[in-house]
Amino acid sequence: MMRLLKTAGRKTVVAAMASLLAVIAPLNATAAEDFSNKNWDEIVAAAKGGTVNWFMWGGADNINQYVSAWVGNELSARYDITLNRVGINDTAEAVNLVLGEKQAGVDDTGAVDLIWINGGNFRTMKQGGLVFCGYVDKLPNNALINWQDASIANDFGLAVEGCEVPWNRTQFAFAYDAARTPKPPRSITELIDWVKANPGEFTYPAASDFNGSVFIRHVFYHAAGGPEKLLGDFDQATFDAVAPKAWAILNDMKPHLWRAGNTYPTSITALQQLFSNREVALYFNYDPAIFGINVENGIFPKSTRSYGLKDGTIGNTNYVAIPYNSPNKAAAMVLANFLTSFDAQYEKAKPDVWGAAPAIDAAKLSADQRSRFEALPRNPAVVSSQELAKKALPELHPDWIKAIEKGWQENVAE
Amino acid sequence: MTIKKQGLSWIAWLSLGLMLTWLILPLLPLALWSISHRWYFPDILPSEYSLHAWKYVFSDTAGVMTALGQTTLIALGTTALAVLIGVPAGRALGLYHFKGKALVELLILAPTIVPGIAVVLGIHVVFLKLGLANSLFGVMIVHLIPALPYMVLVMAGVFANYNPAIEAQARSLGANPLQAFWYVTLPAILPGLLVGCFFTFLVSWSQYILTLVIGGGRVATLPLLLFNFATSGRNDITGAIGILYILPGVIVLVLAARHLSGRNSAAGSLRQI
Repeated sequence: MMRLLKTAGRKTVVAAMASLLAVIAPLNATAAEDFSNKNWDEIVAAAKGGTVNWFMWGGADNINQYVSAWVGNELSARYDITLNRVGINDTAEAVNLVLGEKQAGVDDTGAVDLIWINGGNFRTMKQGGLVFCGYVDKLPNNALINWQDASIANDFGLAVEGCEVPWNRTQFAFAYDAARTPKPPRSITELIDWVKANPGEFTYPAASDFNGSVFIRHVFYHAAGGPEKLLGDFDQATFDAVAPKAWAILNDMKPHLWRAGNTYPTSITALQQLFSNREVALYFNYDPAIFGINVENGIFPKSTRSYGLKDGTIGNTNYVAIPYNSPNKAAAMVLANFLTSFDAQYEKAKPDVWGAAPAIDAAKLSADQRSRFEALPRNPAVVSSQELAKKALPELHPDWIKAIEKGWQENVAE
Repeated sequence: MTIKKQGLSWIAWLSLGLMLTWLILPLLPLALWSISHRWYFPDILPSEYSLHAWKYVFSDTAGVMTALGQTTLIALGTTALAVLIGVPAGRALGLYHFKGKALVELLILAPTIVPGIAVVLGIHVVFLKLGLANSLFGVMIVHLIPALPYMVLVMAGVFANYNPAIEAQARSLGANPLQAFWYVTLPAILPGLLVGCFFTFLVSWSQYILTLVIGGGRVATLPLLLFNFATSGRNDITGAIGILYILPGVIVLVLAARHLSGRNSAAGSLRQI
């Protein structure tokens, strides 16, 4: 045993030294290149033979497979770029890596080349100077993106300004089991009555969860009579006028919630488990594609159906961003461009691949491409994104979101 | 005499049975989850089965097999480094009294008290400056932080009951220092050393945040993949990776069991830890 350990140790050290050198060497070769004067062909040429370390949430096997197998193969075949997908639990983990590197003065040899990102994490990166900007209009497929759309040009109310590339569009929706709940509530008003009539059948994750927070915002919009007054920068007076009404609605609901509102699920995964075990009758998610994915992999019953609210639901866009210190910016740009191509967006929209709504604008596609998108079958569990989009509500500025989350914690949770 | 022996073995069988139940029963749902497709409360068994999770785990895109290899390599490397540092340190703490010994012991224990997540970003900055980040070797070094205390404390316990005079006897009988170590010291401390190695291996085996940050995505280990699926509610894939995840621990335990029988005198000292 002892001998075995010693030999293994020696080999390991040699192997580790070799891999250390292998990691450092190519980094220095491409460090700190300036792309502002380069055209697209030069960027594609510079990207050849490179590697992209793409950090993204890794909890869905179908998304992992789409990225590692399909995107990875296409990227290597078309551009001679290697894709290294790094699965993480939380996008903040990747942002913290870049932050640590900045503190250590690692300004051109970072570990992260691309992050799947939006909302608060993007705000952290943009405000901390951690994100690479100003390349987006160089990407040929940028022509397919409708930057006139405020919900694309703003990521949770924060202007994108060429610092990230849209990848998917999502819009909040509710899901239910049609076999168990024939008439689910279709608006916040109906939900309030429904919760009282069906005690213990509904709950929502705490405000610290991404999805719990967006549910609370729907109640907030309802209390404010619509999102109009809440848009733009945070305003304490408006908040103070609306917040008590919202907290009153949620506190009224509280005794009728799952476990009499004594506790809230800490994550959307916990709510998912409660719904699949029929402890609660309703589930919701910011990305309706997850309903279809969950039916396919057996977490949800086949009779799962979904819908938006009569007054509309909040929509957003998620993006990919390149950290300022990525040593493989050219390859990361080529990947970001490929992700917004018709081919990649179409493959991703297939219900058996992912079913994600495209970030590219149908009006900017050819007639043939448009009809191919329209002909895609839809998983019966997933509400049509065109249907949802008819009543899309804007997302709030991060400062508003922070204030609402904090207010919920102080006024409802405690 | 014979009756007494039979009584003892009956108790031994019972406790063995209980141990196996505690060890194996929790694994049954894990195995069942890994082949289930639909399994809703309150069903005792899944209503649909599928090999999807196992197909995914063995597919090239999942990276599970590569991660299994890297996790093993890192855990073995960390253990080897821990032996090199932990045996001399444990000997010093176990055999000698010196000024500030209590402080040294406290400092050695410190990493087990302070959670890794609290210090990992600071460690990241230090490792980046040292050029150790984003490599397999760096990950082994950082795993030493939580793993080394176990090795040092186990070895300190072993050496506390160890009489170095037997080394002097070996030397006076003509053994060189290496021979004295190989034929006298090592057999005496071997069971304790194996326990220390076992702890170190498992502590390294289960690291998440230190591997993620110091590995910088270049180093993918099983916990990284496992937690992705565990936190997103994919019980089928979590079950399949989970089974692979516990296998090496079981294999190491079985391999080491022969040396842990307690027949060796030094093993007795372990009880004092």
